[in-house]
Amino acid sequence: MGKAFDPILIIEFLPTLIKYLGVTLEIVFFSMIFGTIIGIIVALPKLFHIPIVRQIVTLYISFIRGTPILIQLFLVYYGLPALLSIWNIDITRMDALYFVIITYSLSHGAIFAEIFRGAIQAIDIGQTEAAYSIGMKPLQSFFRIVLPQAIRIAFPNMANSIIGSLKDTSLAFTIGVMDMMGRGETLISSTAHALEVYISLSIVYYVIVLVFEKIFKISERYFNRYQPHGISSI
Amino acid sequence: MIEIEGLKKKFGHNEVLKGINMHVEKGEIISILGPSGSGKTTLLRCLNYLESPDEGQIVIDDVLINAHKVNKKDIYQLRKKSAMVFQAYNLFQHKTVLQNVMEGLVVVQKKSVNEAKEKALEVLQKVGLKNKIDAYPSQLSGGQQQRVGIARALALNPEVILFDEPTSALDPELVGEVLEVIAKIAREGKTMIIVTHEMNFAREISDRIIFMDNGVVIEEGIPQQIFTEQKEERTRQFLKRMTPELDYSI
Repeated sequence: MGKAFDPILIIEFLPTLIKYLGVTLEIVFFSMIFGTIIGIIVALPKLFHIPIVRQIVTLYISFIRGTPILIQLFLVYYGLPALLSIWNIDITRMDALYFVIITYSLSHGAIFAEIFRGAIQAIDIGQTEAAYSIGMKPLQSFFRIVLPQAIRIAFPNMANSIIGSLKDTSLAFTIGVMDMMGRGETLISSTAHALEVYISLSIVYYVIVLVFEKIFKISERYFNRYQPHGISSI
Repeated sequence: MIEIEGLKKKFGHNEVLKGINMHVEKGEIISILGPSGSGKTTLLRCLNYLESPDEGQIVIDDVLINAHKVNKKDIYQLRKKSAMVFQAYNLFQHKTVLQNVMEGLVVVQKKSVNEAKEKALEVLQKVGLKNKIDAYPSQLSGGQQQRVGIARALALNPEVILFDEPTSALDPELVGEVLEVIAKIAREGKTMIIVTHEMNFAREISDRIIFMDNGVVIEEGIPQQIFTEQKEERTRQFLKRMTPELDYSI
Protein backbone atom coordinates (compact mmCIF):
# COMPACT_ATOMS: atom_id res chain seq x y z
CA MET A 1 0.00 0.00 0.00
CA GLY A 2 1.02 3.61 -0.62
CA LYS A 3 1.42 6.45 1.82
CA ALA A 4 -1.40 8.25 3.70
CA PHE A 5 -3.97 9.95 1.45
CA ASP A 6 -3.13 13.60 0.79
CA PRO A 7 -5.77 15.57 -1.15
CA ILE A 8 -3.39 18.48 -1.80
CA LEU A 9 -1.36 16.16 -4.04
CA ILE A 10 -4.33 15.75 -6.41
CA ILE A 11 -4.02 19.43 -7.31
CA GLU A 12 -0.24 19.33 -7.33
CA PHE A 13 -0.11 16.43 -9.78
CA LEU A 14 -2.46 18.09 -12.27
CA PRO A 15 0.07 20.37 -14.05
CA THR A 16 2.57 17.51 -14.42
CA LEU A 17 -0.07 15.28 -16.03
CA ILE A 18 -1.59 17.98 -18.27
CA LYS A 19 1.82 18.48 -19.90
CA TYR A 20 1.25 15.07 -21.53
CA LEU A 21 -2.25 15.84 -22.73
CA GLY A 22 -0.77 16.73 -26.12
CA VAL A 23 0.26 13.12 -26.73
CA THR A 24 -3.25 11.90 -25.94
CA LEU A 25 -4.84 14.46 -28.26
CA GLU A 26 -2.30 13.63 -30.95
CA ILE A 27 -3.35 9.98 -30.87
CA VAL A 28 -7.04 10.92 -31.03
CA PHE A 29 -6.53 13.47 -33.80
CA PHE A 30 -4.46 11.34 -36.18
CA SER A 31 -6.41 8.16 -35.60
CA MET A 32 -9.60 10.11 -36.31
CA ILE A 33 -8.25 11.46 -39.61
CA PHE A 34 -6.80 8.13 -40.81
CA GLY A 35 -9.79 6.25 -39.41
CA THR A 36 -12.16 8.42 -41.46
CA ILE A 37 -10.17 7.79 -44.64
CA ILE A 38 -9.99 4.04 -43.97
CA GLY A 39 -13.68 4.08 -43.03
CA ILE A 40 -14.77 5.61 -46.35
CA ILE A 41 -12.57 3.23 -48.36
CA VAL A 42 -13.74 0.20 -46.43
CA ALA A 43 -17.42 1.19 -46.66
CA LEU A 44 -17.36 1.33 -50.47
CA PRO A 45 -17.00 -2.41 -51.30
CA LYS A 46 -20.05 -3.14 -49.15
CA LEU A 47 -22.08 -0.28 -50.61
CA PHE A 48 -21.30 -1.26 -54.20
CA HIS A 49 -21.33 -5.02 -53.59
CA ILE A 50 -17.85 -5.61 -54.97
CA PRO A 51 -17.22 -9.37 -54.72
CA ILE A 52 -14.22 -10.79 -52.77
CA VAL A 53 -13.10 -7.34 -51.52
CA ARG A 54 -16.45 -7.19 -49.77
CA GLN A 55 -15.79 -10.47 -47.94
CA ILE A 56 -12.33 -9.26 -46.92
CA VAL A 57 -13.60 -5.99 -45.44
CA THR A 58 -16.43 -7.85 -43.71
CA LEU A 59 -13.87 -10.09 -42.01
CA TYR A 60 -11.73 -7.07 -41.07
CA ILE A 61 -14.69 -5.25 -39.53
CA SER A 62 -15.90 -8.28 -37.60
CA PHE A 63 -12.37 -9.01 -36.30
CA ILE A 64 -11.93 -5.44 -35.03
CA ARG A 65 -15.34 -5.47 -33.41
CA GLY A 66 -14.75 -8.87 -31.85
CA THR A 67 -11.36 -8.32 -30.20
CA PRO A 68 -10.27 -6.00 -27.35
CA ILE A 69 -8.34 -2.91 -28.41
CA LEU A 70 -5.55 -3.83 -25.99
CA ILE A 71 -4.92 -7.08 -27.85
CA GLN A 72 -5.07 -5.28 -31.21
CA LEU A 73 -2.42 -2.91 -29.87
CA PHE A 74 -0.09 -5.78 -29.02
CA LEU A 75 -0.81 -7.53 -32.32
CA VAL A 76 0.26 -4.41 -34.22
CA TYR A 77 3.19 -3.70 -31.90
CA TYR A 78 4.70 -7.18 -32.22
CA GLY A 79 3.08 -8.28 -35.47
CA LEU A 80 3.86 -5.38 -37.80
CA PRO A 81 7.69 -5.50 -37.32
CA ALA A 82 7.58 -9.29 -37.75
CA LEU A 83 5.53 -8.95 -40.92
CA LEU A 84 7.75 -6.23 -42.40
CA SER A 85 10.95 -8.11 -41.54
CA ILE A 86 9.95 -10.57 -44.28
CA TRP A 87 10.79 -7.80 -46.75
CA ASN A 88 13.85 -6.80 -44.69
CA ILE A 89 12.22 -3.64 -43.42
CA ASP A 90 13.24 -2.94 -39.85
CA ILE A 91 10.81 -0.85 -37.81
CA THR A 92 11.66 -2.23 -34.38
CA ARG A 93 13.21 1.13 -33.40
CA MET A 94 10.18 3.14 -34.54
CA ASP A 95 8.58 5.31 -31.84
CA ALA A 96 5.85 3.34 -30.03
CA LEU A 97 3.50 6.28 -30.60
CA TYR A 98 3.24 5.35 -34.30
CA PHE A 99 2.12 1.83 -33.44
CA VAL A 100 -0.58 3.31 -31.25
CA ILE A 101 -1.77 5.62 -34.03
CA ILE A 102 -1.78 2.73 -36.53
CA THR A 103 -3.80 0.52 -34.19
CA TYR A 104 -6.35 3.19 -33.37
CA SER A 105 -6.68 4.19 -37.03
CA LEU A 106 -7.40 0.57 -37.99
CA SER A 107 -9.86 0.25 -35.15
CA HIS A 108 -11.63 3.51 -36.01
CA GLY A 109 -11.62 2.63 -39.69
CA ALA A 110 -13.69 -0.48 -39.07
CA ILE A 111 -16.16 1.25 -36.77
CA PHE A 112 -16.50 4.33 -39.00
CA ALA A 113 -17.00 2.12 -42.07
CA GLU A 114 -20.11 0.60 -40.52
CA ILE A 115 -21.38 4.00 -39.39
CA PHE A 116 -20.83 5.49 -42.88
CA ARG A 117 -22.44 2.56 -44.64
CA GLY A 118 -25.59 2.85 -42.55
CA ALA A 119 -25.71 6.62 -42.98
CA ILE A 120 -25.27 6.53 -46.76
CA GLN A 121 -27.91 3.84 -47.11
CA ALA A 122 -30.30 5.99 -45.10
CA ILE A 123 -30.26 8.74 -47.75
CA ASP A 124 -33.29 8.55 -50.02
CA ILE A 125 -32.44 7.30 -53.53
CA GLY A 126 -34.54 10.22 -54.83
CA GLN A 127 -31.68 12.56 -53.86
CA THR A 128 -29.33 10.75 -56.22
CA GLU A 129 -31.96 10.60 -58.95
CA ALA A 130 -32.56 14.33 -58.69
CA ALA A 131 -28.81 14.94 -58.93
CA TYR A 132 -28.60 12.75 -62.05
CA SER A 133 -31.65 14.40 -63.56
CA ILE A 134 -30.00 17.83 -63.47
CA GLY A 135 -26.99 16.31 -65.23
CA MET A 136 -24.58 15.52 -62.39
CA LYS A 137 -22.13 12.64 -62.67
CA PRO A 138 -22.02 9.89 -60.02
CA LEU A 139 -19.03 11.30 -58.12
CA GLN A 140 -20.46 14.83 -58.13
CA SER A 141 -23.75 13.49 -56.88
CA PHE A 142 -22.04 11.44 -54.16
CA PHE A 143 -19.80 14.18 -52.82
CA ARG A 144 -22.15 17.15 -53.24
CA ILE A 145 -25.53 15.63 -52.44
CA VAL A 146 -25.33 12.26 -50.65
CA LEU A 147 -22.23 12.55 -48.47
CA PRO A 148 -23.06 15.90 -46.81
CA GLN A 149 -26.43 14.49 -45.75
CA ALA A 150 -24.91 11.17 -44.66
CA ILE A 151 -22.41 12.98 -42.43
CA ARG A 152 -25.28 14.50 -40.50
CA ILE A 153 -26.67 11.05 -39.77
CA ALA A 154 -23.25 9.56 -39.04
CA PHE A 155 -22.08 12.38 -36.80
CA PRO A 156 -23.63 11.46 -33.41
CA ASN A 157 -22.30 7.89 -33.70
CA MET A 158 -18.87 9.13 -34.76
CA ALA A 159 -18.82 11.52 -31.81
CA ASN A 160 -19.59 8.70 -29.39
CA SER A 161 -16.89 6.58 -30.90
CA ILE A 162 -14.33 9.39 -30.68
CA ILE A 163 -15.12 9.98 -27.01
CA GLY A 164 -14.70 6.26 -26.40
CA SER A 165 -11.34 6.27 -28.11
CA LEU A 166 -10.20 9.29 -26.14
CA LYS A 167 -10.53 7.18 -23.03
CA ASP A 168 -9.00 4.14 -24.74
CA THR A 169 -5.79 6.08 -25.43
CA SER A 170 -4.95 5.44 -21.79
CA LEU A 171 -3.92 1.95 -22.92
CA ALA A 172 -1.06 3.35 -25.01
CA PHE A 173 1.31 3.36 -22.08
CA THR A 174 1.24 -0.47 -22.02
CA ILE A 175 3.61 -0.45 -25.01
CA GLY A 176 5.68 2.32 -23.51
CA VAL A 177 4.14 5.52 -24.85
CA MET A 178 4.59 8.38 -22.45
CA ASP A 179 1.11 9.90 -22.47
CA MET A 180 -0.85 11.16 -19.44
CA MET A 181 -1.45 7.63 -18.21
CA GLY A 182 2.20 6.73 -18.67
CA ARG A 183 3.32 9.81 -16.78
CA GLY A 184 0.84 8.93 -14.06
CA GLU A 185 2.35 5.47 -13.67
CA THR A 186 5.85 6.94 -13.25
CA LEU A 187 4.48 9.42 -10.72
CA ILE A 188 3.07 6.53 -8.73
CA SER A 189 6.37 4.67 -8.66
CA SER A 190 8.25 7.80 -7.59
CA THR A 191 5.76 9.10 -4.98
CA ALA A 192 3.74 6.00 -3.96
CA HIS A 193 0.54 8.14 -3.99
CA ALA A 194 -1.46 5.96 -6.37
CA LEU A 195 -4.96 7.10 -5.39
CA GLU A 196 -4.11 10.80 -5.73
CA VAL A 197 -2.62 10.20 -9.19
CA TYR A 198 -5.67 8.27 -10.38
CA ILE A 199 -8.06 10.92 -9.06
CA SER A 200 -5.98 13.55 -10.80
CA LEU A 201 -6.04 11.56 -14.04
CA SER A 202 -9.78 11.00 -13.86
CA ILE A 203 -10.32 14.76 -13.43
CA VAL A 204 -8.28 15.53 -16.57
CA TYR A 205 -9.99 12.84 -18.69
CA TYR A 206 -13.42 13.84 -17.45
CA VAL A 207 -12.91 17.54 -18.23
CA ILE A 208 -11.57 16.73 -21.70
CA VAL A 209 -14.56 14.50 -22.43
CA LEU A 210 -16.92 17.27 -21.28
CA VAL A 211 -15.18 19.73 -23.60
CA PHE A 212 -15.44 17.27 -26.51
CA GLU A 213 -19.12 16.68 -25.79
CA LYS A 214 -19.76 20.41 -25.83
CA ILE A 215 -17.96 20.81 -29.17
CA PHE A 216 -19.92 17.89 -30.65
CA LYS A 217 -23.21 19.34 -29.42
CA ILE A 218 -22.50 22.61 -31.17
CA SER A 219 -21.42 20.83 -34.37
CA GLU A 220 -24.52 18.67 -34.26
CA ARG A 221 -26.71 21.75 -34.10
CA TYR A 222 -24.95 23.01 -37.23
CA PHE A 223 -25.44 19.71 -39.07
CA ASN A 224 -29.13 19.70 -38.17
CA ARG A 225 -29.75 23.25 -39.37
CA TYR A 226 -31.89 22.06 -42.29
CA GLN A 227 -33.96 19.62 -40.26
CA PRO A 228 -37.50 20.42 -39.16
CA HIS A 229 -37.64 21.63 -35.57
CA GLY A 230 -37.92 18.97 -32.91
CA ILE A 231 -36.47 16.19 -35.03
CA SER A 232 -32.75 16.02 -34.50
CA SER A 233 -31.75 12.78 -36.18
CA ILE A 234 -32.93 10.79 -39.19
CA MET B 1 -37.74 17.06 -81.60
CA ILE B 2 -38.27 13.99 -79.42
CA GLU B 3 -38.48 10.66 -81.16
CA ILE B 4 -38.93 7.36 -79.34
CA GLU B 5 -38.82 4.10 -81.24
CA GLY B 6 -39.55 0.56 -80.05
CA LEU B 7 -38.80 1.27 -76.41
CA LYS B 8 -38.92 -1.86 -74.23
CA LYS B 9 -38.21 -2.33 -70.54
CA LYS B 10 -38.49 -5.35 -68.27
CA PHE B 11 -38.26 -5.55 -64.48
CA GLY B 12 -37.44 -9.22 -63.93
CA HIS B 13 -40.16 -11.09 -65.82
CA ASN B 14 -42.52 -8.16 -65.80
CA GLU B 15 -42.48 -6.38 -69.14
CA VAL B 16 -43.39 -2.80 -68.27
CA LEU B 17 -42.87 -1.20 -71.68
CA LYS B 18 -43.69 -3.34 -74.70
CA GLY B 19 -42.38 -1.30 -77.57
CA ILE B 20 -43.34 2.35 -77.28
CA ASN B 21 -43.23 4.72 -80.25
CA MET B 22 -43.73 8.38 -79.63
CA HIS B 23 -43.08 11.68 -81.29
CA VAL B 24 -43.09 15.12 -79.71
CA GLU B 25 -42.77 18.44 -81.53
CA LYS B 26 -40.89 21.39 -80.11
CA GLY B 27 -43.19 23.44 -77.88
CA GLU B 28 -45.78 20.70 -77.66
CA ILE B 29 -47.43 19.80 -74.36
CA ILE B 30 -48.12 16.12 -74.01
CA SER B 31 -49.99 14.45 -71.17
CA ILE B 32 -49.63 10.74 -70.61
CA LEU B 33 -52.65 9.18 -68.94
CA GLY B 34 -53.33 5.63 -67.88
CA PRO B 35 -54.00 3.36 -64.92
CA SER B 36 -51.34 2.63 -62.28
CA GLY B 37 -48.78 0.16 -63.52
CA SER B 38 -49.38 1.02 -67.16
CA GLY B 39 -45.73 2.07 -67.59
CA LYS B 40 -46.16 5.84 -67.91
CA THR B 41 -43.68 6.73 -65.18
CA THR B 42 -41.17 4.16 -66.44
CA LEU B 43 -41.43 5.67 -69.92
CA LEU B 44 -40.74 9.12 -68.52
CA ARG B 45 -37.79 7.85 -66.46
CA CYS B 46 -36.32 6.13 -69.54
CA LEU B 47 -36.29 9.50 -71.31
CA ASN B 48 -33.54 10.73 -69.01
CA TYR B 49 -32.08 7.32 -68.30
CA LEU B 50 -33.02 7.06 -64.65
CA GLU B 51 -34.14 3.68 -65.97
CA SER B 52 -32.16 2.15 -68.78
CA PRO B 53 -34.42 0.64 -71.45
CA ASP B 54 -33.64 -2.87 -72.73
CA GLU B 55 -34.41 -2.10 -76.34
CA GLY B 56 -35.25 0.82 -78.55
CA GLN B 57 -34.02 4.24 -79.42
CA ILE B 58 -34.44 7.72 -77.93
CA VAL B 59 -33.70 10.96 -79.74
CA ILE B 60 -33.93 14.32 -78.00
CA ASP B 61 -32.80 17.25 -80.11
CA ASP B 62 -29.38 16.23 -81.49
CA VAL B 63 -28.68 13.41 -79.02
CA LEU B 64 -29.43 9.85 -80.07
CA ILE B 65 -29.25 6.85 -77.75
CA ASN B 66 -29.77 3.27 -78.77
CA ALA B 67 -30.37 0.85 -75.89
CA HIS B 68 -27.99 -1.68 -77.43
CA LYS B 69 -24.96 0.56 -77.52
CA VAL B 70 -25.06 3.11 -74.74
CA ASN B 71 -22.09 4.90 -73.29
CA LYS B 72 -21.92 7.16 -70.26
CA LYS B 73 -21.15 10.24 -72.32
CA ASP B 74 -24.36 9.86 -74.31
CA ILE B 75 -26.35 9.46 -71.11
CA TYR B 76 -24.94 12.71 -69.68
CA GLN B 77 -25.69 14.47 -72.96
CA LEU B 78 -29.25 13.14 -72.98
CA ARG B 79 -29.83 14.18 -69.36
CA LYS B 80 -28.71 17.71 -70.15
CA LYS B 81 -31.51 17.94 -72.71
CA SER B 82 -34.23 17.29 -70.16
CA ALA B 83 -35.12 18.12 -66.58
CA MET B 84 -37.37 16.15 -64.30
CA VAL B 85 -39.98 17.22 -61.77
CA PHE B 86 -40.52 14.37 -59.32
CA GLN B 87 -43.63 13.16 -57.56
CA ALA B 88 -41.79 13.33 -54.20
CA TYR B 89 -40.13 16.67 -55.12
CA ASN B 90 -36.65 15.27 -54.30
CA LEU B 91 -35.25 18.65 -53.37
CA PHE B 92 -31.73 18.57 -51.97
CA GLN B 93 -32.52 18.55 -48.27
CA HIS B 94 -29.27 20.14 -47.12
CA LYS B 95 -29.49 23.10 -49.48
CA THR B 96 -31.62 26.22 -49.35
CA VAL B 97 -34.22 27.00 -51.99
CA LEU B 98 -31.77 29.26 -53.83
CA GLN B 99 -28.96 26.68 -53.61
CA ASN B 100 -31.27 23.97 -54.92
CA VAL B 101 -31.99 25.99 -58.04
CA MET B 102 -28.38 27.15 -58.48
CA GLU B 103 -26.78 23.72 -58.04
CA GLY B 104 -27.19 22.47 -61.61
CA LEU B 105 -26.37 25.85 -63.11
CA VAL B 106 -23.05 26.04 -61.27
CA VAL B 107 -21.98 22.39 -61.14
CA VAL B 108 -23.26 21.09 -64.47
CA GLN B 109 -23.57 24.15 -66.69
CA LYS B 110 -20.46 25.77 -65.17
CA LYS B 111 -22.06 29.18 -64.90
CA SER B 112 -20.50 31.74 -62.58
CA VAL B 113 -22.11 32.06 -59.16
CA ASN B 114 -23.42 35.53 -59.98
CA GLU B 115 -24.91 34.47 -63.28
CA ALA B 116 -26.46 31.39 -61.67
CA LYS B 117 -27.93 33.43 -58.85
CA GLU B 118 -29.49 35.89 -61.27
CA LYS B 119 -31.06 33.07 -63.28
CA ALA B 120 -32.23 31.29 -60.11
CA LEU B 121 -33.89 34.43 -58.77
CA GLU B 122 -35.61 34.96 -62.10
CA VAL B 123 -37.21 31.48 -62.11
CA LEU B 124 -38.03 31.63 -58.41
CA GLN B 125 -39.86 34.86 -59.10
CA LYS B 126 -41.78 33.04 -61.82
CA VAL B 127 -42.94 30.29 -59.44
CA GLY B 128 -43.75 32.89 -56.78
CA LEU B 129 -41.14 31.91 -54.20
CA LYS B 130 -38.69 34.78 -54.30
CA ASN B 131 -39.46 35.47 -50.65
CA LYS B 132 -38.40 31.94 -49.62
CA ILE B 133 -34.92 31.76 -51.13
CA ASP B 134 -33.16 31.16 -47.81
CA ALA B 135 -35.58 28.52 -46.51
CA TYR B 136 -34.68 24.84 -46.41
CA PRO B 137 -37.06 22.35 -48.08
CA SER B 138 -38.21 21.00 -44.70
CA GLN B 139 -39.52 24.46 -43.85
CA LEU B 140 -41.82 24.61 -46.89
CA SER B 141 -45.26 23.17 -47.63
CA GLY B 142 -45.56 20.41 -50.23
CA GLY B 143 -46.87 22.83 -52.81
CA GLN B 144 -44.01 25.24 -52.23
CA GLN B 145 -41.47 22.39 -52.43
CA GLN B 146 -42.87 21.25 -55.74
CA ARG B 147 -42.71 24.80 -57.09
CA VAL B 148 -39.02 24.85 -56.14
CA GLY B 149 -38.71 21.52 -57.97
CA ILE B 150 -40.22 23.15 -61.05
CA ALA B 151 -37.93 26.16 -60.68
CA ARG B 152 -34.90 23.86 -60.42
CA ALA B 153 -35.90 22.17 -63.68
CA LEU B 154 -36.83 25.39 -65.45
CA ALA B 155 -33.57 27.16 -64.53
CA LEU B 156 -31.56 24.65 -66.55
CA ASN B 157 -33.44 25.78 -69.64
CA PRO B 158 -33.81 22.21 -70.93
CA GLU B 159 -35.31 21.22 -74.28
CA VAL B 160 -38.08 19.39 -72.44
CA ILE B 161 -39.38 19.26 -68.88
CA LEU B 162 -40.60 15.88 -67.69
CA PHE B 163 -43.28 15.95 -64.98
CA ASP B 164 -43.72 12.68 -63.08
CA GLU B 165 -47.10 12.93 -61.34
CA PRO B 166 -46.18 16.36 -59.96
CA THR B 167 -49.28 16.74 -57.79
CA SER B 168 -49.89 13.17 -56.62
CA ALA B 169 -48.12 13.62 -53.27
CA LEU B 170 -49.86 16.90 -52.46
CA ASP B 171 -52.75 17.68 -50.16
CA PRO B 172 -55.79 18.50 -52.31
CA GLU B 173 -55.78 22.18 -51.35
CA LEU B 174 -52.17 22.56 -52.55
CA VAL B 175 -52.68 21.02 -55.98
CA GLY B 176 -54.00 24.23 -57.50
CA GLU B 177 -50.93 26.38 -56.90
CA VAL B 178 -48.67 23.80 -58.56
CA LEU B 179 -50.93 23.29 -61.58
CA GLU B 180 -51.12 27.06 -61.97
CA VAL B 181 -47.32 27.29 -62.20
CA ILE B 182 -47.17 24.44 -64.72
CA ALA B 183 -49.84 26.13 -66.83
CA LYS B 184 -47.89 29.38 -66.72
CA ILE B 185 -44.74 27.69 -68.05
CA ALA B 186 -46.80 25.90 -70.67
CA ARG B 187 -48.05 29.23 -72.00
CA GLU B 188 -44.42 30.30 -72.51
CA GLY B 189 -43.99 27.59 -75.10
CA LYS B 190 -41.81 25.13 -73.18
CA THR B 191 -41.94 21.53 -74.43
CA MET B 192 -43.41 19.39 -71.67
CA ILE B 193 -44.33 15.78 -71.09
CA ILE B 194 -46.62 15.33 -68.11
CA VAL B 195 -47.63 12.11 -66.43
CA THR B 196 -50.68 12.94 -64.36
CA HIS B 197 -53.94 11.80 -62.83
CA GLU B 198 -55.42 15.30 -62.97
CA MET B 199 -57.84 14.69 -65.83
CA ASN B 200 -59.31 18.18 -66.10
CA PHE B 201 -55.90 19.75 -66.02
CA ALA B 202 -54.59 17.42 -68.73
CA ARG B 203 -57.62 18.21 -70.85
CA GLU B 204 -57.17 21.95 -70.56
CA ILE B 205 -53.43 22.24 -70.91
CA SER B 206 -52.39 19.55 -73.39
CA ASP B 207 -51.87 19.81 -77.12
CA ARG B 208 -52.04 16.06 -77.30
CA ILE B 209 -52.90 13.22 -74.93
CA ILE B 210 -51.40 9.76 -74.92
CA PHE B 211 -53.32 6.98 -73.23
CA MET B 212 -51.25 4.03 -72.05
CA ASP B 213 -52.23 0.70 -70.58
CA ASN B 214 -50.23 -2.42 -69.84
CA GLY B 215 -47.01 -1.14 -71.42
CA VAL B 216 -48.42 -0.03 -74.76
CA VAL B 217 -49.87 3.18 -76.18
CA ILE B 218 -53.56 2.45 -76.64
CA GLU B 219 -54.65 5.71 -78.17
CA GLU B 220 -53.45 9.23 -78.74
CA GLY B 221 -54.96 12.45 -80.00
CA ILE B 222 -56.06 15.95 -79.13
CA PRO B 223 -57.83 16.26 -75.74
CA GLN B 224 -61.23 16.77 -77.35
CA GLN B 225 -60.92 13.46 -79.17
CA ILE B 226 -59.56 11.46 -76.21
CA PHE B 227 -62.10 12.78 -73.71
CA THR B 228 -65.23 12.74 -75.82
CA GLU B 229 -64.78 10.58 -78.92
CA GLN B 230 -62.38 7.87 -77.80
CA LYS B 231 -62.03 4.97 -80.23
CA GLU B 232 -60.85 2.40 -77.72
CA GLU B 233 -63.00 0.75 -75.11
CA ARG B 234 -60.16 0.69 -72.56
CA THR B 235 -59.70 4.46 -72.83
CA ARG B 236 -63.41 5.00 -72.36
CA GLN B 237 -63.57 2.79 -69.27
CA PHE B 238 -60.54 4.45 -67.70
CA LEU B 239 -61.88 7.96 -68.25
CA LYS B 240 -65.26 6.94 -66.92
CA ARG B 241 -63.62 5.78 -63.71
CA MET B 242 -61.40 8.87 -63.42
CA THR B 243 -64.03 11.48 -64.29
CA PRO B 244 -67.31 10.24 -62.79
CA GLU B 245 -68.96 13.64 -63.30
CA LEU B 246 -69.08 12.90 -67.02
CA ASP B 247 -71.83 10.42 -66.18
CA TYR B 248 -74.20 13.21 -65.27
CA SER B 249 -73.76 15.20 -68.42
CA ILE B 250 -74.31 12.26 -70.74
